[in-house]
Amino acid sequence: MNEMFAARGLRLLAATIVVVNGFVPAVWILLTSLKTEVELVGRPITYLPHHPVLDNYVRAFTDQPLLKYLGNSFAVAMMSTAASLIVAACAAYAIARLNLRRRQLILTCIVASSMFPLVTLLVPIFETMRTLNLLNTYTALVLPYTVLNLPVCTLVLVSFFQSIPRDLENAAMIDGCTRLGALVRVVIPLAAPGVFTAGILGFVNAWDEFLLALSLNSSASMRTLPVGISLYQGEFAFPWPTISAALIVAIVPIAVLIAVFQERVVGGLTQGGLKG
Amino acid sequence: MKLDRFKDPGEKTLAAMLLAPAFVLLVLVVVYPIGRLLWNSFFDLRLSGGGAKFVGLQNYLNAMQDADFWNATWNTVLITLITVPGALVVGLCLALLANLPFKRRWPVRLALLLPWALPLAFVGLIFAWFFHTEFGVVNDILRRLFGAEPTMWLLTPRLAFTAICGAIIWKTSSFMALILLAGLQMIPKSLYEAAEVDGASRWQQFSQITIPMLMPSIVVALIFRTITALQTFDIPVTMTHGGPGHSTQTLAMLIHATTIDYMNVGYGSTLAVLMFVLSLFVTGFYLKRIGRNA
Amino acid sequence: MQPRTLQGVLTIGALLLGLAAGDALAQTKLRVFAGGSGQRPDVMRKVFDQYQAKNPGVTIEMETGGATSELQRQYLSTVLNAKDSSIDIYLIDIVNPAQYHSAGWLEPLDAYMGAPAVALKPYLPVYATADVVDGKLAAMPAFADALFMYYRKDLLDKYKLAEPKTWDELTAAAKKIQAGEGDSSLQGLSIQGAPIEGAVCTFLIPYWSQGKEFNDAAGKLTLDKAAAARGLSQWLSMVDAGVIKKNVAEVKTPDTVNEFKAGQVVFAANWGFAWDRFESDKDSRVQGKVGVMPLPAMRGGKSATCVGGWQWALSAFSRYKAEGANLVKFLASPEVSKFLAIEGSLLPTSQAVYTDPDVVKAVPWFKDAATVVVAGRSRPMSRDYGQVSDTIRTTTSAVLARTKKPEEGVDEIESRLRRVMR
Repeated sequence: MNEMFAARGLRLLAATIVVVNGFVPAVWILLTSLKTEVELVGRPITYLPHHPVLDNYVRAFTDQPLLKYLGNSFAVAMMSTAASLIVAACAAYAIARLNLRRRQLILTCIVASSMFPLVTLLVPIFETMRTLNLLNTYTALVLPYTVLNLPVCTLVLVSFFQSIPRDLENAAMIDGCTRLGALVRVVIPLAAPGVFTAGILGFVNAWDEFLLALSLNSSASMRTLPVGISLYQGEFAFPWPTISAALIVAIVPIAVLIAVFQERVVGGLTQGGLKG
Repeated sequence: MKLDRFKDPGEKTLAAMLLAPAFVLLVLVVVYPIGRLLWNSFFDLRLSGGGAKFVGLQNYLNAMQDADFWNATWNTVLITLITVPGALVVGLCLALLANLPFKRRWPVRLALLLPWALPLAFVGLIFAWFFHTEFGVVNDILRRLFGAEPTMWLLTPRLAFTAICGAIIWKTSSFMALILLAGLQMIPKSLYEAAEVDGASRWQQFSQITIPMLMPSIVVALIFRTITALQTFDIPVTMTHGGPGHSTQTLAMLIHATTIDYMNVGYGSTLAVLMFVLSLFVTGFYLKRIGRNA
Repeated sequence: MQPRTLQGVLTIGALLLGLAAGDALAQTKLRVFAGGSGQRPDVMRKVFDQYQAKNPGVTIEMETGGATSELQRQYLSTVLNAKDSSIDIYLIDIVNPAQYHSAGWLEPLDAYMGAPAVALKPYLPVYATADVVDGKLAAMPAFADALFMYYRKDLLDKYKLAEPKTWDELTAAAKKIQAGEGDSSLQGLSIQGAPIEGAVCTFLIPYWSQGKEFNDAAGKLTLDKAAAARGLSQWLSMVDAGVIKKNVAEVKTPDTVNEFKAGQVVFAANWGFAWDRFESDKDSRVQGKVGVMPLPAMRGGKSATCVGGWQWALSAFSRYKAEGANLVKFLASPEVSKFLAIEGSLLPTSQAVYTDPDVVKAVPWFKDAATVVVAGRSRPMSRDYGQVSDTIRTTTSAVLARTKKPEEGVDEIESRLRRVMR
């Protein structure tokens, strides 16, 4: 009986640690978004706002087309993640399952493309996009982001594919499936946690990206969120309250997405072909 | 027995088909830039005037004698050595905790993944604020608990370094936790049940089942955490801008400054190539491990 | 329809089409990069509309982006590096013409506006240095700025203190006020010590005040190490005296503004835009209590200040250089400068505009500002300004954070820049 209690108490403590760790900055930003700028230079610092105001949210939406930025970021992130997953799944299957002589080299090449700092590849990428007349379009960002996410997605999927026993695919193929069919119908569903993981990683990478978005999609209607949020500040002003409001607006859809999908990524997917 | 010939002709075509999209994309987007980068590294190319002068390996030799380069490389390696294991440990704990059967799982899961939702460019600014001498939460809590005098976190090299590592570990532990969590989910429960029946203790279950089965995921997580750690840029640049002095300047920051501020494209390219070599060397033996598992 | 009527209709139709086509052919579209929100794009748009009204064949498209100097430099660096021809005119910081012109990104304006001496005659003297690179006219002035010393008039009056003329006087005045007010969080002086562009000015002001030059006319480094160390030590002594706060190396431009606005600072060094924030912001606690004066001098020296402000430059890759140059000429004209002063409180670029009665009526404090701006000096005009700025600001911030001694810092500046500024 005592052991159960201890375990429960420990679990609660553990849960508290995790929740505090994850929520503290987000809660801080939320509280800041309700304060006025003058309150921020008060000493000692305040936690809860003295006089909560909603002006910052109004300003966040009126100073800049925040919703447009949100939409752009979303579109670009979704498209590049989907593209990455498809391309990575194909490549990962080839590497994990087919007996290729240069398997190691191919994987290294794919991963190696992420070992260069983006700032040094910026100008040539800009020139390429300009030559293809793609500047200030979604494609201008989707293409590089797909490539940026390729290493992570490929490696994650290779690792997950490798951990799935071959017998299941062989069983499917004996039943008359093609190799590709086996990939789609057997392997991917079993590696679902890996697929969703790779998907979330790719999505957030695209969501966070700043440098390329700044240079390639500079026109106001095509800007992404990180670039857009950086514009609330001026040479001489850094309005934390307004920026916090914009950040909350940026976080909420992601948080909702995560809350909805967390079951899929994290929750019981083992009720599949791995029973025994 | 390793087959180094294809089983049937069909497989060769299949392999080509499956790998083609990846390589087409790579060629289209990064091969030309990387090629240009390598090319430029052998030239003295400054945008501030004068055309490109071929200097062969001189840039590389200069880098070897450049105190800033070694300082930045050392800082980068140190950050990697601290934050990669740090994020792994914290991430593993977070993943194990999130995997526990709670009544209501979503707060824990959301808390796990929320650090991801905050755009990286702002994480540094937020943590800079947390560690601010006068307006920072850290100093405020220290004052309330211990009556401590305000510490100038970001103005003291060692403390600034610690604060930066803390911010990085905070942001990236969810990355690790995510990958590890997915890996945990793939471990069949039956293994644990069998172990219980055999009378294995909690710790034995952890070390004999969990860790070995989690190895592939751990390796993957480590590879990417390492590559990104070597490229650390956003958080230090927004927290301290490399200061005080150059005590928190990383290699990526040095490359950024050289290329964009100093407009010294030739030397910047050289440094980028050196960073690539470093990354390849460090992650090389991780990759071998993945290749070996068949 | 009768053949002759048909012929008539066709002729008129053709004429109309011809006119329309001709009109379309004559239509030039110019794209202007107008900086970020700090450069008042709303006011600039009105100026562009004025130009369009006067020149029907030209439409102007404005692009903004890059909130801070750093972000703009990043963006422009990429775009200009790629020789992009989509933007014709750039609004750039006063420190950039030398660097960008040497990189071949700016079209010299001599052919369109005359030799530099002639073209820049009506403007403030500082532009003869800032906008002229290798003897060519690289940019034209848009609006000016300078580092002013703002102060709490009410507090100085309360303690019957005169405007301090030297840093020593300022220290004494600040300490008297701090003691009298009994408020431990009241700062005597707020300056910018973070590794931002403004820190370059923090280094140069006490240095220039001693009558020293940072570089000669050819751009060679002429650093007087003792004087530079003295300048940095001046700041540190004020920190020790409790006049400047200990974590000054964390202070950025907006921080000084916010703290002065909240009534926590007696003296504040800041740029021209700050006046509006102090006087007009809703949450300002210092409305009506603000005075402005030139920066104090070092003991036995003269007051010196940094000039800021922005410049119009023509892209070397533009496809409409003649039209672009025309627009630049208009944008730099005294009429536009007056408009910017009245509508946007942006400091004028020529002395005449400062004393224009309409301007004085709209922005009375510009009268006091005039003396400061006219005497202002430009930061080192080097084609490697990026490196010069980075070195000075990083080292200054490190010295203010007490991780380096002033002498060490100055030695480092000298050794790093000796090769760059030859």
